[in-house]
Amino acid sequence: MKYENATHLIGRIGVIIGIAFMFGIPVIICSVNHIWPSLMDVIQAGSGLLLLFLPYTITEVFSYTPMLGSSAYITFLTGNVINLKLPCAISAMSKAGVSEGSDEGDVVATVAVATSAVITTILITLGVLLLVPLQPLLSTPAIQTATRYMLPSIFGALFLGMLNESCGDYVAKGKLKSIILPIVLVTVIHLFIYPLAGKEGFAILVAMPVILGCAYFLYKKGFIKMIPVEKKSS
Amino acid sequence: MTYMDIFNSGLMYVLVIIGIVSILAFSVFTLVRSYRRGLALGISKTVMKDTVKSSAVYSLVPSIAIIIGMFTLSTVIGIPWSWFRLSVVGSVVYELMAADMVATGAGFESIGALANANVPELVGPVMFVMSMCIMGGLVTVLIFGKAIQTNLAKFRKKNGPWGILATSSISLAMIVVFLPIQVSKGAVYVGVLLTSALVAFLHKIVIKKLGWSWLGNFIMADSLILGMASSLIWVKLFS
Repeated sequence: MKYENATHLIGRIGVIIGIAFMFGIPVIICSVNHIWPSLMDVIQAGSGLLLLFLPYTITEVFSYTPMLGSSAYITFLTGNVINLKLPCAISAMSKAGVSEGSDEGDVVATVAVATSAVITTILITLGVLLLVPLQPLLSTPAIQTATRYMLPSIFGALFLGMLNESCGDYVAKGKLKSIILPIVLVTVIHLFIYPLAGKEGFAILVAMPVILGCAYFLYKKGFIKMIPVEKKSS
Repeated sequence: MTYMDIFNSGLMYVLVIIGIVSILAFSVFTLVRSYRRGLALGISKTVMKDTVKSSAVYSLVPSIAIIIGMFTLSTVIGIPWSWFRLSVVGSVVYELMAADMVATGAGFESIGALANANVPELVGPVMFVMSMCIMGGLVTVLIFGKAIQTNLAKFRKKNGPWGILATSSISLAMIVVFLPIQVSKGAVYVGVLLTSALVAFLHKIVIKKLGWSWLGNFIMADSLILGMASSLIWVKLFS
């Protein structure tokens, strides 16, 4: 079997295992304790939340999978997409000088996300073991305030790293021009027409074709130039 | 057994540990497999090792934030189920919302009130609702993950330099969407964002001037910690 096909098969198996545990644990707990809820109770309690989250969770996959490649399986399985896995993948690709959509980019993103998943799982487990001694320290007002500003702190460094013209085997001179119009549009829509906070997944899905449209126009008009990177002779 | 007894029971711990070990094993397998693939594709060992190192270091701080969230969650759904939920798919905000919806639907003021009332019959609805409502993403990636990635790879191969430019421009959507939204949240957010960017910039200068390439593995982690720490100053200045 080709590596790519095997990757998707393994990813899907991992997701199915995750789903099995998500539902298997409640099934066993309810059976052993004889506390099975009625189907209606579950549907009644969950339908509102399902309607609220379903479009959001589906959109997230279409928005972030083009950046994540095959690491999307492990990313969505282990969660914390925006605050951890996606910045990890993008930062790793940027640092390694590989671009998303390439085989190399896919591998680097997967290594980054899988490493992050392993570390996070281990740390959360340590958090469980040290729950009592850690609680007073991590509940201090300073820590509580600092954690509230985690996202802007992630994005500051991440965005700076992304502002480059590297495209793996090419340098795209003028590439960043393609985000000027989209960024103005998002700002205007967010401030004056419709607040986008909390709906970033949808906004990204719309922003992607706009950016690609701008990039295509600028590329065809010669404002963005693709220059092959000269390989260093060893 | 009461609501909290069931959530903190030995059986719950055993099932959760089996679940987490399975997901951890899957993550380790994926890591080793892609690492080897990277080497086979001709990516240098240094780049692969640096990817592992920088991702590991960067993940430390957000993980601590997740642990803090787990403290809150454990008071209403016990320790093991919080541990599982935050290790697989979930996020603190979502889990609290899901649990709260079950509680209010059952006539309680909040999930806190439900936990205090200790009604064992509501353990099932809380667990099922939490699992059910977050499924959209997993099912979607299961069905469409392969199609999205293979079509993107085909597009890239078919369209030459334009294909490469297009696929490498996709992640710019992150900047386009998140930057205006974060900036619009106020001066503290802008201060934190700029501090983090400045720390990353200074790291890059030091790496360039002194040749300390090892420092590259710490750019994201240092920027994250110092950016978050700077929020204490910005809050004092602007709030």
